[in-house]
Amino acid sequence: MSEIAQMDLNPRGAVKSESPLAMTRVNVVLAASARDAGVVVREKPFLGHLVLRGRAEDEAFRAGVERVLGLALPLALGPVARDEARGVSLQWMSPDEWLIVVPAGLEFDAEAALRRELTGHYAVMNTSGGQTVLELTGPKVRELLMKCTPYDVHPRAFPVGKGVSSVFAKSSAVIRRVDEERWELVIRRSFADYLYRWILDAAEEFGVFVSPSESAGSVEHRMAREAAVEGR
Amino acid sequence: MSQQNRLGTGGRIDRSRPLRFSFNGQTLEGFAGDTLASALLANGVDVVGRSFKYSRPRGIVAAGAEEPNAIVQLGATEAGQVPNVRATQQALYGGLVAASTNGWPNVDRDLLGVIGSVGGRMMPPGFYYKTFMAPASLWPKYEKYIRKAAGLGRTPKEKDPDIYDHINRHCDVLVIGAGPAGLAAALAAGRSGARVIVCDEQDEMGGSLLDARELVDGRPASAWVASVLAELATLPEVLVLPRTTANGYHDHNFVTLHERRTEHLADLAPSINGRRQVRARMHRVRAGEVILATGTHERPLVFANNDVPGSMVAGAVSTYIRRYAVVPGRRLVLSTANDHAYRAALDWADAGREVVAIVDAREHPEGDLVNEARARNIRIIPGSAVIEANGKKRVTGAQVARIDIGGFKVAGRVETLSCDTIASSGGYSPVVHLAAHTGARPEWRDDILGFVPGKVPGMTPVGGVHGKSAIAEALADGAAAGVAAAQRTGFKVEAPALPKVAKVREGKAAALYQVPHVKPAMRAPKQFVDPQNDVTAAGIELATREGFESIEHVKRYTGMGFGTDQGKLGNINGMAIAARCLKQTIPQTGTTVFRPNYTPITFGAIAGRHCREFFDPRRFTALHAWHVEHGAKFEEVGQWMRPWYFPRGNETMHEAVQRECRAVREGVGILDASTLGKIEIQGKDAREFLNRIYTNAWTKLDVGKCRYGLMCKDDGMVMDDGVTACIGDNHFHMTTTTGGAAAVLDWMELWHQTEWPELEVYFNSVTDHWAAMAINGPNARKLLAELTDDIDLARDNFKFMDMREGTVAGVPARVYRISFTGELSYEINVQANHALHVWKALFEKGEKYGLTPYGTETMHVLRAEKGFIIVGQETDGSMTPEDLGMQWCVGYKKPFSWIGRRALTRPDTKREDRKQLVGLKPLDPQLVLDEGAQIVLEKEIRIPMPMVGHVTSSYYSPNLGHSFALAVVKGGSQRIGQTVYLPMADGRVHAAEVVSPVFLDAEGARQNV
Repeated sequence: MSEIAQMDLNPRGAVKSESPLAMTRVNVVLAASARDAGVVVREKPFLGHLVLRGRAEDEAFRAGVERVLGLALPLALGPVARDEARGVSLQWMSPDEWLIVVPAGLEFDAEAALRRELTGHYAVMNTSGGQTVLELTGPKVRELLMKCTPYDVHPRAFPVGKGVSSVFAKSSAVIRRVDEERWELVIRRSFADYLYRWILDAAEEFGVFVSPSESAGSVEHRMAREAAVEGR
Repeated sequence: MSQQNRLGTGGRIDRSRPLRFSFNGQTLEGFAGDTLASALLANGVDVVGRSFKYSRPRGIVAAGAEEPNAIVQLGATEAGQVPNVRATQQALYGGLVAASTNGWPNVDRDLLGVIGSVGGRMMPPGFYYKTFMAPASLWPKYEKYIRKAAGLGRTPKEKDPDIYDHINRHCDVLVIGAGPAGLAAALAAGRSGARVIVCDEQDEMGGSLLDARELVDGRPASAWVASVLAELATLPEVLVLPRTTANGYHDHNFVTLHERRTEHLADLAPSINGRRQVRARMHRVRAGEVILATGTHERPLVFANNDVPGSMVAGAVSTYIRRYAVVPGRRLVLSTANDHAYRAALDWADAGREVVAIVDAREHPEGDLVNEARARNIRIIPGSAVIEANGKKRVTGAQVARIDIGGFKVAGRVETLSCDTIASSGGYSPVVHLAAHTGARPEWRDDILGFVPGKVPGMTPVGGVHGKSAIAEALADGAAAGVAAAQRTGFKVEAPALPKVAKVREGKAAALYQVPHVKPAMRAPKQFVDPQNDVTAAGIELATREGFESIEHVKRYTGMGFGTDQGKLGNINGMAIAARCLKQTIPQTGTTVFRPNYTPITFGAIAGRHCREFFDPRRFTALHAWHVEHGAKFEEVGQWMRPWYFPRGNETMHEAVQRECRAVREGVGILDASTLGKIEIQGKDAREFLNRIYTNAWTKLDVGKCRYGLMCKDDGMVMDDGVTACIGDNHFHMTTTTGGAAAVLDWMELWHQTEWPELEVYFNSVTDHWAAMAINGPNARKLLAELTDDIDLARDNFKFMDMREGTVAGVPARVYRISFTGELSYEINVQANHALHVWKALFEKGEKYGLTPYGTETMHVLRAEKGFIIVGQETDGSMTPEDLGMQWCVGYKKPFSWIGRRALTRPDTKREDRKQLVGLKPLDPQLVLDEGAQIVLEKEIRIPMPMVGHVTSSYYSPNLGHSFALAVVKGGSQRIGQTVYLPMADGRVHAAEVVSPVFLDAEGARQNV
């Protein structure tokens, strides 16, 4: 075996995967449709989540990450580096820590590509099974978030593109603003049920609609390895 | 009664919307726009409660938050009961049901009235302490009845169906109070584009402008209020919050606002479109700048019998007349020491009712309002004051006399004026409470005869609270502060053009607090300072004479300011009286400390949604739904919900656990081990880091091998344990206890960041990423073999404490051959999204082996049979590895020191009489000892006697056929074979033999198959 163990943890055969929210039941008064909802909630399950650790001051490290992900490494709290078309994002989390999100099933390739390109003191850790992404859209999302986090989500403090990690209800979440009225939360698996129910409860007064998730967990999707990650 | 005191015209009430409500069982009518208090006064209700200590009848005194008497119990339903509501702040709605909280059994005839009327003098300050506290054991009994009679309200007996929530807000400028100064400030700051929040506790914004006599730009002041509110509504970054009380002012301009969203509408929050509306909301505001525009509270004069219903503060009389079109009486006597209060008399006269006299403490009152009164031929009695009110349930007259303020004595003969209302004004106290919450001590200003807020960084007081009460002054003060606050937060704006308000010339006010009586205060009829707590001027005098010189001691001795109103009305008067008695100035006497909350707040609003299902997060594993479907009973471990046991049919817990235990030892069982903390460690110095953080050695652990590790704190005491696997040369997978996961990661980060930053290693939690399923039992290998074809399970190729990668049920897995039961065991780890598939596949194949799911209870029994510790159960922060008999897990020869090493080489940690882990075998094999039971060495029990240890874990083992326990006992390793005793609370004394903590398979044969 090598210095670092790397494993593709996704099955090749027909395996039914369950997102962290698979068991949570919706039991609030829901808006009839997405159109009359102030908040639309949609899970983006099964995405690839990697924690990247390394030295921001190491030029080779920064260059290597950029070669692999096609995104410049953000060096401070602020905009999340993101390529919507390829479904790849790279977020500064702390002075030596970043969150990489790639399309479902591509986390192994992304990790392998990073390990090919990076040298020295760094780490790549797969957390895909431990996290999920909730997308919140609608005119009332900002107000909803104010009921959840003490972080300032006003456009002046939280412009489109920004991402932070903060307190969320009595747990925590990564909060990202993708668009004017589109936000993403990255939440931990074991807290997902609590946070999801908290969000639906808090959004009830605005009218909330739960949109079906993408069927990204299907075998076909996982097997389809598009060139989303530009490993060379 | 049909609103006998309501005027035919005027006021801000809507006469087209009559509202019926109930007070003390009586149905009354008011109008939309009324407060409960104004509606009660309109109906001529004089007595709204009984006083706390003397049970005297009490009426409405004020019109705002400072009201001490009209404290009601609200609620049409049991579930909707709310205690301690100030009738002056409760908007009237149709169907409102209120009752007096003070005055059991009823306000008109009551129990304590007997005591009260017989003898005030029998109940001086300290009365409760002196009388009822002894014997202490009876106090709860006294307290129950005193409280009931005194009436502090009651909580609902039914569950509150309403919801409350919190919202976090950030703003550049927070304006507290929407009177003239606050509105001007909000307008100025709002126009700059800054984020502005303006809140006001009343139903309607405008504060004193809503009952002002002055014209603003030639129109009623309320028209200007409307125009400002209309403009604020167009500014997108301005939030206007009526019915919202700033209740707490915390450090760094963090202010908590309490918004009552539905309490003006109905008993319980109505639903809209099937959506539950939030009854009350706590806004947690972080403000760049705070503008404090909280205005003033008028001080009543302290004269004899000043609590008789019909005695009010002057400003409240004006408010009721002008804002609510209610004249709370027929014939008014006004006793004042300033010009401003003349408004009450003028408003009264405007309403067409009789002003008997204005009694002014000043010799030569001069000012515009005084002249207006003179011009209307109202009798003005200068140099005098009302020294005593006549009447019991309503004022029937006022005794007026010349007074000598400096000499504190009555200086002339007493004239009795017939009247039913006495309005009084001793001046205006800035509302400094919020500023004081931050710890800033209020500062006395002689020119306004009041305390103003002390300095708070980022806070600007404006208007009345800043000593600028005249409307024109308040507007200018607010506007300037609004501009400045906006500028300080990075916004530019020009001062708004201010409306024209004619200046009202006012003469200098006199400093009058307590009015002298012909008798000394101790013999005169009661002169109330704090009506809610029945604190009198005589009480304060007595306190100072008994040696209580600090105002904080006077407060505690007399109870002044202890009520739900926090003494808003009376505190300054009390301080002035204490100052007079102590022959010092008011600033020398100082104020007491005000604390949040400014007004009483319902627990619901404090809790918000953090209650019931949201009280604490519940963490679930990827397999939780299966556990629920299969009838698991759950145990909370930290925030995790872990299956405790899986009862079948009508099995008891004991039966289920016995069955699960046998299944593991005889067939195969499965445990959801996903909650164990998991930390991934990568880096070339990972091994060295492990060497330092664990007590044992990690240098030579090969890839694919697992090792048990113990972690100590720097004091040498065990803090966590777990198995760590070497999955790559520079790559480790650490497990921790379920409850210790976060703390262990923090601990590792701390040591890495502060002590060993040169080590190239990174850690990350992967607890949620992996699901872990532990199959245990003789059939574990056979079962696993059915689900994997790429892992060689042969006994010699996949040994105990080995790790293998492969595929289980088609899912990539890491399989660890580790065991917490002592059985042949494999812990299968897969990415959590795929866990349920693997779990179900195991059950599909496991049926023929009798695969049995087991929970934490069975896990505890099985591991205890093997003498395996649980950190936090066998340890309590005072156990060393040696105490646990785990010296094999300590590597003193490691080249670099490790955490705990130094402490473990102290003499104290080498003592032989330390508490050490042992096994206990009860002499009665069916007896399960109590966990926590104390252990003694002698059978004959005496008190005291030396206690040598306690039981840490205790179970019945179906595998052993008898009960057993783990315990810590002083010098326990030397006591093997001895009998110890366990005295129980019920007098029984159990006996047990000290044995090895390993009860089963000491040589480990079962797990090495």
